[in-house]
Amino acid sequence: MSKNNCELIRRELDELMLNEAYSASVAEHLRDCAECREFQDKQKKLRQMVGSLGTVAAPPDFDFRLRARLANEASGAGSTFHYWPVVRRALAVATVLLILASAGILVRNVMNGRAGGDVASKEGPIVLPPSPEPVPIKTPVLPDNLDHKVIATIRENQPQVVKAERSSQPSYKVRRPMAAIDFSNERAEVITGTELIGASAAFPIDASLQSFKVSLDDGRGNARTISVPTISFGSQRIVQGANQFAPKRVW
Amino acid sequence: MSVVMLASALLCQSAATAQTPAPPAKATSPDKVPSAPQVVTIIHRLNGLKMFRLLLRSEQVQSIDALDSTFSLMDDVHTNVIAGVAMDDGETIAAWLPEAEVEFGPNDPDVTVIGPDGKQVAARYVGLDGVTGLSILRLENRNVIAAGTVKDEPINTGDTVLLFRPEPVTKTRPVLARMGVLRGRVQRVVAAPSGGVARFKVSAPRLSQTNIGGVAVNPAGETVGIVDGLEGSEASILPVALIKRAAQRVLERQASVPRPWLGVKGEAVSALKFDDIVNHGWELNRAAALAGKHRGIMLTSIVPGSPAERAALRAGDVILKVDDKDIQNADDFTWWLEQAGPSSSVEFTVARPDRPAEEPLNVKLSGKFDANWNVNAWARFPSTKGFSLMEQGIETIALKPFVAAQLGTTAGLLVVYVEPATAAFEAGLQAGDVIQSIDGKPVAAFNPTTQSDSFTFEVVRKKQKLVVKVAAKKN
Repeated sequence: MSKNNCELIRRELDELMLNEAYSASVAEHLRDCAECREFQDKQKKLRQMVGSLGTVAAPPDFDFRLRARLANEASGAGSTFHYWPVVRRALAVATVLLILASAGILVRNVMNGRAGGDVASKEGPIVLPPSPEPVPIKTPVLPDNLDHKVIATIRENQPQVVKAERSSQPSYKVRRPMAAIDFSNERAEVITGTELIGASAAFPIDASLQSFKVSLDDGRGNARTISVPTISFGSQRIVQGANQFAPKRVW
Repeated sequence: MSVVMLASALLCQSAATAQTPAPPAKATSPDKVPSAPQVVTIIHRLNGLKMFRLLLRSEQVQSIDALDSTFSLMDDVHTNVIAGVAMDDGETIAAWLPEAEVEFGPNDPDVTVIGPDGKQVAARYVGLDGVTGLSILRLENRNVIAAGTVKDEPINTGDTVLLFRPEPVTKTRPVLARMGVLRGRVQRVVAAPSGGVARFKVSAPRLSQTNIGGVAVNPAGETVGIVDGLEGSEASILPVALIKRAAQRVLERQASVPRPWLGVKGEAVSALKFDDIVNHGWELNRAAALAGKHRGIMLTSIVPGSPAERAALRAGDVILKVDDKDIQNADDFTWWLEQAGPSSSVEFTVARPDRPAEEPLNVKLSGKFDANWNVNAWARFPSTKGFSLMEQGIETIALKPFVAAQLGTTAGLLVVYVEPATAAFEAGLQAGDVIQSIDGKPVAAFNPTTQSDSFTFEVVRKKQKLVVKVAAKKN
């Protein structure tokens, strides 16, 4: 009984369905080969065991739980060591870009100083005047197509997180984790119209852009999933209220 | 390393250079957008429990089958960013918070005020005005926001109005917002039946739902109103006089003030067809006379147990006057009921299909924050043998086992709200409790026996089992 022959027979056994009959050559081989008979018995028992298991249904929110988890893992992966080579290369590229940008700024500043002549002498080194009052900084990068006039500025000492610390809040109250950002359901509109005649400087809001989903049952067997944005501006209401003037003729 | 040092040095150099004095500002343009120091930004946060209450009110919900894995009952799950007005007393803020109706009750609303300079200002939520939908907040420290002018009258057709509202500027974290401004024009001024302005309508390009709650300012930088709705391409503006009255109502009570509630549905006679009048029991001659006068509100349905039913009002009755004020249309009727206020007594002049003459009728109004919700909720959760949790002032959503496990609790009925001043509230039932059984029976199988004096709730609160005994509500 050659070893090659046994391998061929076992491969054929592997490919057979549970109740499918095998060929005459396999039957003949099994009669003579105890090892292959044992292999066939084990295979048959394993298949019967698997076949007896019921269907496993995924929970209704399996889809978005999986997506959120993947997003979380993706955002957290940067801190793991096995990505260090990639991070190192990225850092090197960033450093080069930083140097080029800084050199550009330096050259521009030197050229401006020569052209103006008020701040620095033409030959001498650049002499900086005393630091003035705090100047506006940290103006966020806005989309290029915004046509706006700035009517207020953010000062250097402006708080970066606008949420108040409330001593009355229970100790178990924590912020919703915001590591995962999924824009697939993001509904907030970014204003780009030319009709916008003015806008203040931007300020940060401690909230996630990610939507969350809830699967509901109306009690009549009708289930549906709704997506709720975690941040809304103005009156993007979930509830239709009674705040209109004389709504629906109900008094 | 030397490369990094060189880069750092260059950066320091450019940063230092950036601190050179800014060039003189250009001369102010005549079209310069005025500052509006009284316009603030309100950040209103809802936790998971309040979100469930919103869902219960807005959707046909009986149970929650599945949740986002990051959902938590006590964590913030939704943040609304909206404009508000700092009133000229230096400490009151009025804002149209869209989800304020879930804030009645003992749980502190989570609101933060951002001043026009971007600085955070501590404020306390005082209450909701049911008539206007405005929320009234009080600053912890007076005059921390520069006083602006909140202008009362007049408003004229053709006036220019600037609409301020916060808007997002980024699609990445951190979320950045700013106060944006649209220019609009007053198209119509709606006079109030008692004089003054009831609303004015402003057209502006690119109006959207995000403009509701925005603040309307005139070109001099004075606040003239708050946007309380959109009607086609026009924004409906609640004028300052009504904002001030709303603030006064809430501040006097130091609590939310509901809108007056009669418990009827109806339609202005002038909007009805002749057949509609006849179908409500009016004889042909009298129906013709009624239709010809174009006066009054015909009642089309009465809510059981409402002030209207207690006053023996019936479908088909026509209310012609409220406290001697003629009613021409639905807005008139709404206006005069609002002027009377909740819990007040009013005298209606009523014409009835089966009575030859008009007759006076005294009605004691009650108050509701959302008449639609109450009507719909009772239809959605009918009582069984005289008992329902809604009747006890308890709002619940069923949790499936998988969801309950995710929230760290057990399957049952999750209490999302307990009406204050009810027996359940006094007995200590709280939002966040999960009711597992009533009188020893699983909630699904609970079938009350007749005339129970009390109900015993087995609840789970923070993984601890408790027993809460609630006296039955007497009708």
